[in-house]
Amino acid sequence: MWGFYFEQLVQSIPFFLKGLWMTVAVSGSSLVAGTVLGFVWGVIRAGRGKVLKRIIGAWVDLIRGTPFLVQVFIFFFILPEAGIQLEAFPASVIALTNLSACFICEIVAGGIQSIPSGQREAATASGLSSYHQLRYIILPQAMRIILPPLVGQYVLLVKDSSVVSAIGVTDVTRVGWLTVQRIPEGIMVFGLVGILYFVICYPLIRLSNTLEKRMTVVTTKL
Amino acid sequence: MIRFSNVNKWFGDLHVLKDINLSVEGGEVVVVCGPSGSGKSTLIRCINRLEPIQQGELVVDNMKVHDKKTNMTKIRAEIGFVFQQFNLYPHMTAMGNVTIAPMKVRKMKKSEAEKLGREILERVGLGNKADAYPAQLSGGQQQRVAIARGLCMRPKIMLFDEPTSALDPEMINEVLDVMRVLAREGMTMIVVSHEMGFAREVANRVVFMDEGQIIEVAPPNDFFKNPRTERAKLFLSKILTH
Amino acid sequence: MLETFNFRVILEYMPLYWKCFFATLWLSGGSLLGALVLGVIACAMRLSESRIISRVAGVYIESIRSTPLLAQLYFFYFGLPSLGIRMPEEATGILALTLNSGAYMAEIIRAGVQSIPYGQIEAAMSSGLSYLQRMRYIVLPQALGVAIPPMLGQAIVLVKDSALLSLISIVELTRAGQILTSERFMPAEGFLTTAVFYLIIYYVLKAFSHWSQKRLIFRGA
Repeated sequence: MWGFYFEQLVQSIPFFLKGLWMTVAVSGSSLVAGTVLGFVWGVIRAGRGKVLKRIIGAWVDLIRGTPFLVQVFIFFFILPEAGIQLEAFPASVIALTNLSACFICEIVAGGIQSIPSGQREAATASGLSSYHQLRYIILPQAMRIILPPLVGQYVLLVKDSSVVSAIGVTDVTRVGWLTVQRIPEGIMVFGLVGILYFVICYPLIRLSNTLEKRMTVVTTKL
Repeated sequence: MIRFSNVNKWFGDLHVLKDINLSVEGGEVVVVCGPSGSGKSTLIRCINRLEPIQQGELVVDNMKVHDKKTNMTKIRAEIGFVFQQFNLYPHMTAMGNVTIAPMKVRKMKKSEAEKLGREILERVGLGNKADAYPAQLSGGQQQRVAIARGLCMRPKIMLFDEPTSALDPEMINEVLDVMRVLAREGMTMIVVSHEMGFAREVANRVVFMDEGQIIEVAPPNDFFKNPRTERAKLFLSKILTH
Repeated sequence: MLETFNFRVILEYMPLYWKCFFATLWLSGGSLLGALVLGVIACAMRLSESRIISRVAGVYIESIRSTPLLAQLYFFYFGLPSLGIRMPEEATGILALTLNSGAYMAEIIRAGVQSIPYGQIEAAMSSGLSYLQRMRYIVLPQALGVAIPPMLGQAIVLVKDSALLSLISIVELTRAGQILTSERFMPAEGFLTTAVFYLIIYYVLKAFSHWSQKRLIFRGA
């Protein structure tokens, strides 16, 4: 019996690979868009515009305080009521982009705020504009601090992408869910699902750890 | 060139600068000294508005620094500031550090800026370190790069906030040497420092501050030999006997 | 949309939401306790001198961290029956949440333990304290002080993770939203109310975290 199911599972591998591709598509687009948006929000959060800081801060808090599943349902079911019809894939990407941007925003703001104020003072004293300061002095230094947690966040977001299977997006998790209806060997099917996620996530986790180690070695002496 | 008129500043409830009146002419070298907490660093940080003032007038090179509407970029381009902690940009080489402001604020072309950078780095004795990163330089070398960074903007005024206080004793002189040359060349300088030898050699005037007020202003010989106020006498007795 | 927001329907469903609110609380709470216990054990194993024990714990922690919670949840929900084990969904849910958070707790505790300067352990050894005594009086009290803020963070994550239990038919807050939506076709009322309940839990936990950080200032990590 077990052998029979195993064979069936092997035959389903193409289906799983399509699901894997979908996971990569959803996560990938959301990560790119989320990173761009997250950097913009992060720079604002670390800046001086009090009103904008608070608005973004409040939104980030809302997103961090509610389950992603609920956010996905809200984007998918409620936006149509406001007139925006969305299919599952775009709704997922929007929800995941928003989630990514919120977490990345905090990482970026934290990195920027950790740069010693003396750097900003030196740049101000020589007359550099805020834009130039950010671009040439602050961000290049902040990137070293931002990169390890940023990559770590990417891993979390790939895992979070599994939640969009709940609204029908055919990612790896959904493929598993569909397959297990035909092949009732949960351990084998979801073992395969796990392996597929592991293949994507584990290298990213190792990358994040390596980046973190390298970052703590390169410090300037005074 | 620089004029403080009845300047007052508070940090919250703390009154850190009290009724400051001071004029510094072009080409003058002024050394500001006093016990810690006397407000001397705050005083020079007001000149390029790293610290704002709440009362009084501060006019630098005919521009009103106290006026919130004044565009500080122009003023700051004419003032070089050297920090106690150097504040060099660690991710840029010495050349990078000295050329970034000329390129972005004075809009110089890269080749022009690098030529200027090399010239100034030579002047401070670090021509061969143009491609070194701050982490590869000693404290004294880093501070000289910081001075070069200020000089590359061809400023009218150079401000120094305790430039040698964070340095190991062997390196203090290499920095003071650069500053002595600048003074002799006629640069307008205000230096917050405890280096009395330097003050005696190059300063036109010494400003002694205590608890936010200017207590005494005098040429160095007069100040060191015949201090007029009790507080100045007390301060001098403490620092000259160590 | 806001003009037509139907508060009466929400009031009608309040009993359901309350019931589900408490369901979420006890599902998360139970899993949190399990995760703490599991976390301490897994951490102890990970820091053990035996390479085999350390490896086993390592494999557990890395597998959990490299795979999504939903996949783990389905793994147990669909996998256990195929082994002949029948459990009520709530038990499966708590099992999955406990195993998941346990791995993260283990890492948090490990960071806490490793943040203690080795000099203290040497001092303790020099004064004759045994391993267990060192653990009990020197290491663990300080490790816990360092670990409490991230542990509270993990508690918040756990509450949000519990939402996934709605996908295996467990009746908790997210399921309440799904029920309102499917019975009355009102996704806005349904899910926004759900969101509000989660936010209440979130802000309470956040406030508790700030309060406890003020009181427990033994050392910064």
